[in-house]
Amino acid sequence: MSLIKLLPDQLISQIAAGEVVERPASALKELMENSLDAGSADIAVTLGQGGVKLLRVTDDGNGIPHGDLTLALTRHATSKIASLDDLESVASLGFRGEALASIASISRTSITSRHAEASHAWRIAADGGLLGDASPAALDRGTIVEVQDIYFNTPARRKFLKTEQTEFGHCEEAFRRIALSRPDVGFMLQHNGRALMRLAPGAAKRRFTEVLGPDFSAEAFELDESAGGLRLWGMAAKPTFSRSARDTQYVYVNGRFVRDKLISHAIRQAYQDVLHHDRHPAFALFLELDPTLVDVNVHPSKTEVRFREGQAVHRFIFHALHKALATPVGLPANGLVPPPVAAPAISYSSGIPAGQPYPRQQGSFDLRANEAPGFYQTLFGGLPREAVDTSSPLVSSGINQPDMQATLAPPQASSGLSPEQATQEYPLGFALAQLHGVYVLAQNALGLIVVDMHAAHERIMYERLKNALDGDSVPMQPLLLPVSFNADRFEVATVQEQLSTPEGQQTLHQLGFEIVQLSPSTLAVRAIPAMLQDADAVALARDVLRDLREYGGSRVLTERRNELLATMACHAAVRANRILSIQEMNALLRDMEATERSGQCNHGRPTWFQATMADLDKMFMRGK
Amino acid sequence: MNIKINRDTLLKPLSSVTSIVERRHTLPILSNLLLEAKDEKIVLTATDLEMQISLALQTPVGGELSTTISAKKLLDICRSLPENAEITMATAESRIQVKTGKSRFNLQTLPAADYPVMTKATGTTYTVVSIDQKSLKRLFKQVEFAMAQQDIRYYLNGLLFEVNGNRLNVVGTDGHRLSFTSTELAQTYEKQELILPRKTVIELIKLLDDSEEEVTIEIASGQVNFSFGDIKLISKVIDGKFPDYTRVIPVGHKNSFNVDRMTILLAMQRASILSNEKYRGIRMVLGSDSLRLISTNSEQEEAEEELEIAYGGDSLDIGFNVTYMIDVLNNVNCDTVTFSFADANSSCLVTVADDETYKYVVMPMRI
Ligand SMILES: Nc1ncnc2c1ncn2[C@@H]1O[C@H](COP(=O)(O)OP(=O)(O)OP(=O)(O)O)[C@@H](O)[C@H]1O
Ligand SMILES: [Mg+2]
Repeated sequence: MSLIKLLPDQLISQIAAGEVVERPASALKELMENSLDAGSADIAVTLGQGGVKLLRVTDDGNGIPHGDLTLALTRHATSKIASLDDLESVASLGFRGEALASIASISRTSITSRHAEASHAWRIAADGGLLGDASPAALDRGTIVEVQDIYFNTPARRKFLKTEQTEFGHCEEAFRRIALSRPDVGFMLQHNGRALMRLAPGAAKRRFTEVLGPDFSAEAFELDESAGGLRLWGMAAKPTFSRSARDTQYVYVNGRFVRDKLISHAIRQAYQDVLHHDRHPAFALFLELDPTLVDVNVHPSKTEVRFREGQAVHRFIFHALHKALATPVGLPANGLVPPPVAAPAISYSSGIPAGQPYPRQQGSFDLRANEAPGFYQTLFGGLPREAVDTSSPLVSSGINQPDMQATLAPPQASSGLSPEQATQEYPLGFALAQLHGVYVLAQNALGLIVVDMHAAHERIMYERLKNALDGDSVPMQPLLLPVSFNADRFEVATVQEQLSTPEGQQTLHQLGFEIVQLSPSTLAVRAIPAMLQDADAVALARDVLRDLREYGGSRVLTERRNELLATMACHAAVRANRILSIQEMNALLRDMEATERSGQCNHGRPTWFQATMADLDKMFMRGK
Repeated sequence: MNIKINRDTLLKPLSSVTSIVERRHTLPILSNLLLEAKDEKIVLTATDLEMQISLALQTPVGGELSTTISAKKLLDICRSLPENAEITMATAESRIQVKTGKSRFNLQTLPAADYPVMTKATGTTYTVVSIDQKSLKRLFKQVEFAMAQQDIRYYLNGLLFEVNGNRLNVVGTDGHRLSFTSTELAQTYEKQELILPRKTVIELIKLLDDSEEEVTIEIASGQVNFSFGDIKLISKVIDGKFPDYTRVIPVGHKNSFNVDRMTILLAMQRASILSNEKYRGIRMVLGSDSLRLISTNSEQEEAEEELEIAYGGDSLDIGFNVTYMIDVLNNVNCDTVTFSFADANSSCLVTVADDETYKYVVMPMRI
């Protein structure tokens, strides 16, 4: 007697379908990916009842030869790879050869396809995985895959389906993800007989705008960075456009939408400095790298990847984005022509009907950030707060800064710059007055500028402190009383791994740590970074070990250091109600122009906005 | 119930007990102090539930009183009254009237019976140690600065108080440096140790004076009592194991030199101006008969101080957190200090000429 039996093919496919076809949206993703793999230029999606009743994907790709139709619906049959080598360098979205078979096993599926060289099309249908015979059909080119009644033969699964609206929402999201990844392909989406989206092939930026909305693309910057065979491109929103939910976050690896902890972590860290911790950044980012350096065969749904050199990828993404955030690109070089922004609701005491958008803009300007000359210089060099005080005029204070006069006084009063030149050179213009001890009002060629003086100054101080300390080595403070702690298996393994190579040891030392193993489950911290000597050594070591394990490197220390610096900056920044002289205000504006990330305070709120003359005219209904 | 008392008699005891009253408390009665007067004696008691100070004054009060009243407010009132003002206090229901001359203050009270008085642990055996106030104060001051502040290793947020044979040892450490001192006792005891909470130590330093008067210390389990002058202080002790200090204090460091305390202290203070403000590193560079103190900040600004010393040991270049050095130099009371080293990676030992029991150990920093 034999208890163990081979399962029938159909059941095997149904089991596989459990993972591959989690819901109609996952089937849609597979079908659209197949169309892209077939080189289609135009893909139309038709849904019925949230995709549960009907999913139809029509493409104009290569089509399937008559002889292969049956194979297309057979498990482990694919045209995309043939060997392990192929798998390791796979560039197509599909490679498992099981999506269609799985989908067919739990629905009523039909494929109509005409291979490029065939004289007519053929159609094959499968009912719950039971294949019929191919028959001739009429179709100009490409392929139509039609999936009806998902889960009709697996009632247990059917029960897990949500409302039509929810399932449709998921399908739409799947559609969006794929549409974003291929701006060069045209897409169409129809639900219950209504056309909902029609996306013509075109430039990436246009696709982002159509799919993610004009608000996003108005507030996002484009980036494209390459280094060492890695490329990161796409669009990311400025921190001021942060969301309270993680809903606008799209990451692609070699064109494939993925969810990846390593990448999200790198992105979050890049935003860390400019974003409040309970806000989420918005972005659509594409990572491209040699396919042999990334393993896509991690999960049947193919939305997870594993990098061969995760540490390098993490570092690259962090730096590329961090840099882009510091220097927003994609704006006119002399940049005070910020894009319009949907206004946050502000109420006014008079004049403007509630809800009407107020001219409110947060742009970026030509950064003239200078090299950090050093700690004290950076701390006190640029903004002579005390020195500019009227009682001790800077000019007579003997400080040798020839260009101070020009930068602190309005152009008319000095070097004979024309207003246009002045705007180019001093995009934030010149101070007019201080409002209630909180805001600085300034005028530039375009109109009025309002600056939150504490927020702006805090950011300036913070950037200076960071600049002064970046690149310093990390002095280590060995502990008189080493701190031992019970460590879990991963922590112990990480320490062992780290200590087993000279590079690993060096990494720990560079981070300012000395950690040794005392017993199979005890570690001891013997030294910590001198700057953080009052911190909880164990918690710090644990964080660092976790980062080393998951991301290969750690920015925990830089972050902790930055927290300290942020507190210092907050204390050092001018407080509300401190009366500033015009010269001091101008000095602040000049410093903002020269400081990276000065458009946001340390918590991600804007530090200034512009109301142009046109905006103001509109408010007063002039020229209408 | 009412009493009379002179403002000046009350003021100092009042401010002594009030200093342990926590400013903000979820338990209202803890912002109060307990005031008990009877038989020409007045007793003030304050507590934060971890420690309690009571102060008994022998003074004619002409009546009886037993209540609790806001410590802070009573102190503020007494402070601002004219010198030698005669104060009367009278309670009625849940209020007390404090009156002198034409000033009148009506304050709320809470019942004396509700006051969470800490009592001496009963039924346990005490070890009773005697020492004079001046010596105890000196011991605390020599080590107090090395205690941790709010370390999660809670047992470091206090001082080790150890009676062993005829010696009393007191040790403070924050994990980076350690300060040890010791004195001889009149009697011999079995080894006994406890950890005095940080706050208790700081209060004791404030309350003890430089007299030869005796302090009686009663050590029970979980509790310690200090009695001196009019004061009785009861404190809980920190429950935990203090690190074994004997393993931390090095012996046989062969490279050592003596130096005038003020000279090196001032040199360190000057050099520290240009040390990195975040980690305060300073290098001590030892050569034959010379010591150089060098600091550099992230701006590459540099300070160098050169001191002539008598030194024939190894050449050494060793980094320290200058704060730890300045701390010890500020807190030991003597003219000459001795620094001893093994090598650039081992701890440094600081000792003083006129108290061979004192030892300060500090770890170098790898700059
Ligand atoms: N729209 C299409 N146009 C042309 N060929 C198609 C199309 N859809 C499927 N095929 C063919 O059918 C085969 C099976 O598709 P299926 O999705 O089951 O597997 P796969 O794409 O190879 O791998 P995976 O399971 O990872 O998706 C493909 O390899 C491809 O040759
Ligand atoms: Mg496929």
